[in-house]
Amino acid sequence: MRRTLRIYRRSLGAHLRAVLEYEADFWILVVAGLLFQVLNLIFLSAVFSHVPALNGWSFPEAVLLAGTYGFVNGLGPLFFEGTWRLAGKINHGELDYPLIRPAPVLVQVVSAGIGMHGVGDLIGGGAMIGYGLANSDIAWSPARIGGALLLLAASATILLSLIVLGNAASFWVGGNHPVFAMTLIRTGDMAKYPLSIYGVAVRATFTVLVPYAFISFFPASWLLGKESAWIGLLTPLVAVYCVYLARLIFRQGLRRYDSAGH
Amino acid sequence: MSLVEAQGLTKIFRRPEKDPGLRGSLKHLVQRRFKEFRAVDGIDLSIEAGESVAYVGPNGAGKSTTIKLLTGILVPTSGTVRVAGAEPHTDRMVNARNIGVLFGQRTQLWWDLPVRESLALLRDMYDLSPAFYKQRLERLDDVLGLADLLPVVARKLSLGQRMRADLAAALLHQPKIVYLDEPTIGLDISVKDRVRQFLRELRQDGTTLMLTTHDLGDIEDVCERIVIIDEGRKIFDGPLAQMKDRFARVRRMRLQLAEPTPVEKLAERLPDVEVVAGDAPTEVTVTFDRFTHTAGQIIAGVLDVVEVGELHLDEPAIEDVVRKVYAGELLRIPEPGPARDAAERSGERA
Amino acid sequence: MRPYWGLLRMSTRRILTYRLNSLILWIGGATFLAGSLAVWHALLSQGEIGGYDWDQMKAYLLIGWATGAIGSAYGDWWMAGRILEGHVATDLTKPLDYQWARFSEHMGGLATEFIAITIAATAIVTFTGGLVVPGPAQALLFAASFLLVAPLKFAIAYITTMACFWTQNFMGVSWAKDAIVTLFSGALIPLALLPAWLAGPAAVLPFASITATPAALYLGQATGWEALRLLAVQAAWVLVLWWGARLVFRRALRALTVHGG
Repeated sequence: MRRTLRIYRRSLGAHLRAVLEYEADFWILVVAGLLFQVLNLIFLSAVFSHVPALNGWSFPEAVLLAGTYGFVNGLGPLFFEGTWRLAGKINHGELDYPLIRPAPVLVQVVSAGIGMHGVGDLIGGGAMIGYGLANSDIAWSPARIGGALLLLAASATILLSLIVLGNAASFWVGGNHPVFAMTLIRTGDMAKYPLSIYGVAVRATFTVLVPYAFISFFPASWLLGKESAWIGLLTPLVAVYCVYLARLIFRQGLRRYDSAGH
Repeated sequence: MSLVEAQGLTKIFRRPEKDPGLRGSLKHLVQRRFKEFRAVDGIDLSIEAGESVAYVGPNGAGKSTTIKLLTGILVPTSGTVRVAGAEPHTDRMVNARNIGVLFGQRTQLWWDLPVRESLALLRDMYDLSPAFYKQRLERLDDVLGLADLLPVVARKLSLGQRMRADLAAALLHQPKIVYLDEPTIGLDISVKDRVRQFLRELRQDGTTLMLTTHDLGDIEDVCERIVIIDEGRKIFDGPLAQMKDRFARVRRMRLQLAEPTPVEKLAERLPDVEVVAGDAPTEVTVTFDRFTHTAGQIIAGVLDVVEVGELHLDEPAIEDVVRKVYAGELLRIPEPGPARDAAERSGERA
Repeated sequence: MRPYWGLLRMSTRRILTYRLNSLILWIGGATFLAGSLAVWHALLSQGEIGGYDWDQMKAYLLIGWATGAIGSAYGDWWMAGRILEGHVATDLTKPLDYQWARFSEHMGGLATEFIAITIAATAIVTFTGGLVVPGPAQALLFAASFLLVAPLKFAIAYITTMACFWTQNFMGVSWAKDAIVTLFSGALIPLALLPAWLAGPAAVLPFASITATPAALYLGQATGWEALRLLAVQAAWVLVLWWGARLVFRRALRALTVHGG
């Protein structure tokens, strides 16, 4: 495990150094990431200038929710960006080399890139979280702070697992672009709004089938003491389940890999 | 036990069968048909430590697929593989430390990283000690001239540079066995020579080599054993010299005669061989089967008729045989039998 | 014309080859649309916002989504990839106009895009109880404006991919473009609901012609001369960007020679 982590860290570090060589690219990506968070903020502020609340969520609370979602989404590009290249690797038979090296294939895949737009997401999402927390009514205590951090870590784990899971679908789907994963993750964008605005089918799907709601809605509900706040405390369990599922699917997929150009 | 042991190795791929054109694509949407394709069909192979084996065959014969089965990249449909006692596709990590692989068409360097970073990453993956890494790097620098390449980002390397860096990457951990799939493809002559020289040195160090190539120069320079496959089946497996004996048995002697001599006169003295007049009246070419005649007999025969100024004996070329296999002229290579029979069937005289 | 027609068919075929990809892409688009509908349904439950009631907003969101879908099946990525991987040199050796060739490929997605839009519209009518329909005059204006969206979006995407001649990083550029287009076209939120400091620039930028113009014509917010003026502005943007793209391309080729790519 420690060896695996070391390989992951070195690989990511090497890619970080490579990316930082191109200063212009770095800034383009950071700005692009930031722009998307700004769009979320513009949408919310435009909407809330006409209505006082969205299904019982005030403007700062909605900003906190969207900010959490944005912040967690920034971790994917920074730590798991290589995953998005899996489809291309499968299609071009480029998993051949990872398969002949004495390191877990998943680690080699996941760490094979870094996306600096994650920095923009972290800055934008982080600022929104800060604004939301400062303007919401939360009874802070050491337990609450610890719980919030734990839930944030768990929600990040869920999203990263979904990224692996969605991209591992490329073993079955084929094609050069990870369209399934893009769809899976983009559908999750619906989770940046309070889950209660959706119909019962969507709510059930987002809670049980694909647990987007545990990325931001349930943790934020717990922190803000909303209705059925206790569900938020299940987030770590969901995270463990997602990690298990992602690993399983990736392994099954790897067995289907048949290289390219026989 | 041999270093590499494969028995009845078979890989079947399933390919979608589609009619051409837009109509075909639409039809395939509704009605999906697949065709089975046996890329590798019951291959037995064993390689001893220290051997260097050329693995050749026409395009699509199953060369790369075999390599991918031996390295554990693909899971065989049936049959068994053992490399240094480990089953490659199940004991992937164990096997990985024993082998080095180079696919000439594809780089294993990280595209966005300088070569130095790629090598350092491999060092971490193979758990190489700093001292060993340094020593290996120096050794590889000696033979491959790595130093200039280290700071360059992989995607900016020329093909020859890339191949040198890729060879270093494949050999960094000093693997027991090295698989090379088209290691000289697309390289210019000077780089090719350098790579071949390197492979020879590698062989002298005791590394086991298995090499697929379309470049027959690679085979003659590097290998002592040749395995020929076609349509997924092995059609020859033996020492390179034996292959030459068996198939490249026809030799050609070009003679510069002291005075013009009619071809018929020579032919009379030398039955069973082919005598052809050259460009000048004093030149003739004698083609003979080296199993029925020796070069000495031919010279003696000619000397009975006329004085010889100069002579030149063409070495049998492995190229001719392999080229015939590629062209589909040698579907089954015959067992050593009556010499003439084999030579005729192989079409050498034609 | 024939070679361009061939390119168009070829790209249609490529989209069909990756049919599962295409299908998943449309499912993704559908969930996005469903999400937007849910948000606005909740927002509009207390009454209209900025002159939009639920029925109008439904139509607006459908148009916003449909104008976003046009020209997306083929994707800017193919175009950018050809430049980044150096295939542009091969493309240039063909006796075709580069811009028309890429345009033809882009339009290869139209067939599948129209099918997807039809399905989405049918789904909205079925599940949300109907859709406001414009009168014949407005419908005609809308159709004209909707058709202009295809070349307009192509020109914007085409100019954006030119950035690949200068930067390796198309992703960032493409996202920045998407963010700007989403905001200023009205796809994010109707332009009338934007604060003044954003509504101002939106009014003078070409992006409003992508979503706001077709939507205004469909919903009858612009009629008569005003409608024709919007159409004229839209057509003018198509021409300006189409020829602007040629200028950018000429400059880009100079960059190509410099890099020796």
